[in-house]
Formats: sequence, C-alpha cells, structure tokens
Amino acid sequence: MPVTSDPLARRYRRLLLCYPRAYRRARGEELLATLLEAAPPGRARPTAREAANLIGHGLRARLGRPRSRSVVTWAVFTAVICGLFTAALATRLAWETSPPMPDRAEAAAILADVLPGQQFAPGEIYPAETLFAIYGEPLSLNSVNDLLFGDGGEYALTATGASRTGFPSLPLDQTAAVAEQRLRDGGWTVYPATHNDMYGCAGPPCDPATIPQDTRLFAKRGNTTLELELYPQQHADSTYLAVSLSRTTPAAVWPAAVVGGLLGAAMGWLLFGWASRRTQAPHPVRVPVNVLFGVTMGLWWLPVLFTVPFMVEHHLGEPHPRWHPLWEWLGQPVFSLFLVAGCASALLGLALALLPSRRTQPQRVATT
Amino acid sequence: MREPTYLILTALASGPRYGYAIIQDVGELSGGRTSLLPGTLYTALDRLAAEGLVELDREETVDGRLRRYYRLTPGGVTALEAETARMRRLTTAAETRLRTLRPQTA
Repeated sequence: MPVTSDPLARRYRRLLLCYPRAYRRARGEELLATLLEAAPPGRARPTAREAANLIGHGLRARLGRPRSRSVVTWAVFTAVICGLFTAALATRLAWETSPPMPDRAEAAAILADVLPGQQFAPGEIYPAETLFAIYGEPLSLNSVNDLLFGDGGEYALTATGASRTGFPSLPLDQTAAVAEQRLRDGGWTVYPATHNDMYGCAGPPCDPATIPQDTRLFAKRGNTTLELELYPQQHADSTYLAVSLSRTTPAAVWPAAVVGGLLGAAMGWLLFGWASRRTQAPHPVRVPVNVLFGVTMGLWWLPVLFTVPFMVEHHLGEPHPRWHPLWEWLGQPVFSLFLVAGCASALLGLALALLPSRRTQPQRVATT
Repeated sequence: MREPTYLILTALASGPRYGYAIIQDVGELSGGRTSLLPGTLYTALDRLAAEGLVELDREETVDGRLRRYYRLTPGGVTALEAETARMRRLTTAAETRLRTLRPQTA
C-alpha cells in the first residue's frame, strides 16, 4: 500500500497491520478506500469502534478459512494453552529473582523465636541449596528421565527444614499453641491450623474417631513462609515435629506471568493462523496437519483439564501462604511427556504446513 | 443466515455494488438498525465469496480510491430466494396467529 500524508489514512493503515500481509496486498487499498469514504469529513482518528472492528476482523483474517466458524474456537484454544505454558515458563524464570532459601543462621534464629522449647543445633537444620529441586538435586540432564517418565511431580520448590524425633518434651497441643502465639507476636501472618488423619481405615472394624490426627500450622512473614507439622508420637524413632522454611512467590512472578502469557497467546494465535492459512483446501497435507493439530491440543490440554480440579480441591482444602507455581496447575512437569510429545506433534504439523500450497493465499474473490 | 449476511445479499440483489455503497444500502434496508463497519463487511464478503454466493464484478478507481464491485452469483440468488421464502413463511405464520389472537384480546 502506498504511503499517504492523510493522518486518518495513516492511522487506518496502522490498524490494517492486524490483517496478514497477503490479505493487505490483495484487499488493503479497497478496504482503506471504504474506510475513508465511510468516515465523516473532518475525522482525523479512527473511532474506538472502528479500531476494535479492524483489530478483531484482522485477527480473524489471519486464521484464513473464511467459511469456517469453528476456526476461531480452535485458534482461541491454541492461544490460551500457548499463553498458559509461556506464562508458566515466565513465572519459573521470575522465580530466579527470589532470595535464596533461608540459610542455617536465618533458620536457627526463626526456630529459636518460634519454638523456644526446641533447641536446634546448626547440624539439625538442613538448608536448601537451590530454589527448585528434583530428588534434592537441581535440574540437570541427569534428571530428564525422572522428569519425563513419571517422577516429574518430584520437581518442586525446596525448603530449609528441621525436625525432631523421639518423645516430645511438651504436649503437642501446647507446642502448637506456643508456636502460634510466638508467630503472631513476631509479626507473622498465621493461617488457621489444619488437622488430618495420620492414616485411613484399613478396613472394618474401624472407628475413625480413634485415628490420630496431625496438626499443621502455616505462617508467612515478608518473603518467608513457615510450615510446622506436629505428629502424634507413635514410636521412639518417629518424627513428631517438622518445620519447613521457604520463600513466598516473588513479586516479579505476577507481571512475568501476564507478559509471558500475552506474548505466548499472541504467538499461538499467529502460528495457528499461519498454518491454518497455508493449509486451506486444497493443500496436499491439510488432513495430516489437522490430525496433528488435534493430537497437539489433546496432549497439551488433557493434563491441564485433569490437574486443575485436583489443584482447586487441594488449595481449598488447606491454607496456602504461597500458591503452587503456575506450571503445577497445568500438570507440569508431572505430565511433561505429554507436553514434549505435543511440541513434537506441533512442530511436525508446522513443518508440513511449510510444504507449498496448490494455490495463492489468501482466497481471493473470484473474477469472471 | 444471519441478518447482516441477508442484508448484504439483498443489497447486491439490485445490481453490483462496491464496499461503501453496500454499507449505505444495508443501513437503508434495515432502517438504520444495522450499521456495518468495513471490517465486518469484508469478512462477510470473504465468507460469501468462499461459499460461492458473491463474486467480483469489476474494479474502478475514483478520486484515486479503488472500488471493487461485487455481484450475486446464481448460487447467491438461490440462497437469497430460499432465505426470503423461509422468512416469508415465518412472517405469514406469525401474522396468522396474531390475527387469531387480536379478537380474543380486544
């Protein structure tokens, strides 16, 4: 399209960038002429309604297949899942802005303050070396097998921990009450304590009222979270008290999720549109590409749809000073094999879409 | 068939029209109720062309602006006739029932 000095035309041209290049080449001048003719004299800027209309229809034109009404739905599914995955990736990167996990000195000071009756020697405190770990080790090439084949759920945020075994010197109820009071006095936000059965009924006869219950106390202060677990003592070598100190979600995670999500959604939309336009009938690989797209969507969406209800139930079931990272909500890396297989399927589909089409895109209005 | 599509086909029923003329005609046909924006119009034209209901008639350049005229294909005429007949049947049925309703409510 030629350059113009008319400011209104220039602004319309800018909005027409939402349409794919081939479409602009074919219809841009005509569309611009109609826009200018429809504009009342003296208008210098497109109205908000016009702008929204051009952006919406431009993005629709990027999907090609003008007869299809479902193509928009598929594009939305693609954009949303791509946005979710890139948002999750961005949040993982943003977690790197977190301070390291509490070291021995910090943990010892907190424990001495919160649990005055328990004296932890430095050797009884186990500081976490990394923010995230799988089986206690940072992610590396050696963890690929674990990550992909069933043990992805072991990749999790670490915590600096300390525990006690043997017989408690104070009744656990008293320990919990003292800890809760000390936490409040120390400026911690304390969440309601939870109590869960230590085990389920193995079979009748079973009186659920006789099953011992643990006590879990969650608290948050600044960028530190604390979880205190108290277990009714059953054996001389059983753990009756465990404390975990970890970090809250860094502030950078939220904007990173939004920016990463929007970029990923836009990328998903554009890639879907590109492949959709290229494989419009009568493209030789239209059917295989459609099948690969379906496989990709299944592999990417199924873990999300499977995981989200469990995560919602889990979050509602106990207090969370820190939400689980976004990728865990998406079923990652538990189902990372699905994600990787979906990526392979998507890449194969995109590669097939690169094959030359049998006609010029986009579909032009036929001349007689 | 959605109303804007029906109105676009109706606008083209009286002969080839270019983009802005279709927008004006649709506005008049609908008594000002439907105000098509160019983005909506060209998406609809793309779809109608892909369905074989409209086709390009000719191009003109007026005051340096490109005008493409569109016309109904025989398939477009048939689709418009079918939709018009369907709507006529509906309006006839509605009128018949309203006529029977009026004496009771009067």
